[in-house]
Amino acid sequence: MTLSSAARAAALALALAATAAAAATLSPGRQAVVAALGAGDAAAGKAFFFARHTGGKADTPACTACHTTDLTKAGQTKAGKAIDPMAASRAPDRFSDLATVEKWFRRNCTDVLGRECTKSEKANVIAYLLSI
Amino acid sequence: MADATHIDITLTDDATRAPRVRVWDRFVRLFHWSLAASVAIALATGFVGGPRLLVAHLVAGVLAAALVVARLAWGFLGPRHARFADFVVGPGATIAHLRAALAGRPSHHLGHNPLGGAMVVALMLAVAALSLTGAVALGGALKEGPLAATITFATGRAAREAHEWIAFALIGLISLHLAGVVLESLRTSENLAAAMITGDKRARGATAPAIAARPTLAVLVVVAICAVATQLTLAGMRRPALGVPTAPLDASYARECGACHAAPSPAIASSKTWRRVMAGLDDHYGDNASLDADTARALSQYLDANAAERWDTQVSRRVGAASVGEDLRVTRTRAWTRLHEDIAPATFAAKPVGGAINCAACHRDAATGRFSVFAIDIPHERTAP
Ligand code: HEC
Ligand code: HEC
Repeated sequence: MTLSSAARAAALALALAATAAAAATLSPGRQAVVAALGAGDAAAGKAFFFARHTGGKADTPACTACHTTDLTKAGQTKAGKAIDPMAASRAPDRFSDLATVEKWFRRNCTDVLGRECTKSEKANVIAYLLSI
Repeated sequence: MADATHIDITLTDDATRAPRVRVWDRFVRLFHWSLAASVAIALATGFVGGPRLLVAHLVAGVLAAALVVARLAWGFLGPRHARFADFVVGPGATIAHLRAALAGRPSHHLGHNPLGGAMVVALMLAVAALSLTGAVALGGALKEGPLAATITFATGRAAREAHEWIAFALIGLISLHLAGVVLESLRTSENLAAAMITGDKRARGATAPAIAARPTLAVLVVVAICAVATQLTLAGMRRPALGVPTAPLDASYARECGACHAAPSPAIASSKTWRRVMAGLDDHYGDNASLDADTARALSQYLDANAAERWDTQVSRRVGAASVGEDLRVTRTRAWTRLHEDIAPATFAAKPVGGAINCAACHRDAATGRFSVFAIDIPHERTAP
């Protein structure tokens, strides 16, 4: 019991340290995006990204429908074009422009969930994608 | 008169012993078989069609035209039987010859008889007409070649139609020509096709005096004509083609409309179609492709200013002018599917293409909206390394 909570605490500390270290090295564009959306919870973002949602379109029930489950690799649009990897470590240009980030959340949340995403959902997803 | 008839009969009875004389000089024979080969290639590649064979078709066609030019010069500067004066006669003489032939008493000619001469003229006219309509079609409909700067798409299409009819007429003429050769060979028991290879025919009656050829002058004339034609062709090809878009895609358009598929050139659809596309971005073929109002307005203006109506190319005048159905699909218009009917649906679905909308996967110049027939290649699925 104590051992596992100690491990959990250590993991949390490590994760926090990693987030802080990552934030410290974020480009100015990414810092602006994070500042606008607010700090998010990467674990919640990951769960949201991989979950099957209802309310959206039948052929896109999850973010992974186009981005696939390996975010370090390219995905594919419904129109057949490759999508650059989503992992921030593999896509240095991503998440650096708020208007672009908002545009794709608006479009893709509507397609996958049938509604726009909330601010915290977006913050979580961005936190997750920046962490990988 | 009675004497001549007597000689003729003797020769027919003992054909093998008749003296052989040179009738077709080396150039006439080379011309004949080269023209036959280039016309055969041009007809075959033309009727099979398709961009892959177009270059072979054009080379064969240009060669045929050049051969006819050379033969024209030789018709005035060659030896006796090569000269038009030797075999081109008026309609009266031709009809008289035909009457006599039908009555079983055709007049004899060492070179071409009047019907054969008429066939030479008809064949050469057909090849000349094909070259002309071909160049007009190439320039107008495909916006390539020396006339790309001058001929409209509508004229080019009409010329293409005429080109096809003349090609059918040429096939008819060739059939008549072959039938004539066979019949005349049987009638005179002299293999005329072989004579066009060896150059020699049996002498009958008195041979007309020879006329000396002037080969040097002929070569000079032909070289001069070909040089002028080449210069004119090059000059024509340097001029910008009529109504052909050349600008790359607008950067903002390329970014926004190239995110999910290759950005389609504005030239492939009418402004009416683009207005419908832009009005429905929230539900764009099943995707949400919505834009902020400012960007949408700017892109709408760009599409409107560069839509198919503005251009005179095949893609704009055929695909762009086609009426787009309820599904708002350019790639399901009759014009588009007809242009792509030889391509398997699986080719469009395959990974390197990813759908018909990705024109740029196969058309190297899709971004400019030109869609030249010489800029097509279908990518093949790369095998994994
Ligand atoms: C969010 C992704 C997305 C964006 C952004 C997008 N499209 Fe599309 N587009 C699609 C999809 C998906 C299809 C359907 C492809 C298919 O079924 O093969 C499509 C199809 C089309 C077609 C129909 C092609 C045909 O088959 O005839 C046109 C035209 C088109 N898009 C124009 C545009 C224009 C113009 C823009 C920019 C304003 C744009 N698209 C932006 C996703 C997108
Ligand atoms: C899979 C590859 C492929 C894709 C994708 C494709 N094309 Fe083509 N296209 C071809 C081929 C191959 C031909 C020649 C067909 C033939 O004549 O045999 C052709 C011919 C054409 C021609 C006639 C060219 C000429 O001058 O003869 C036009 C115009 C054209 N395509 C427009 C388009 C447009 C517009 C799109 C996108 C909406 C498109 N194509 C997408 C392969 C493709």
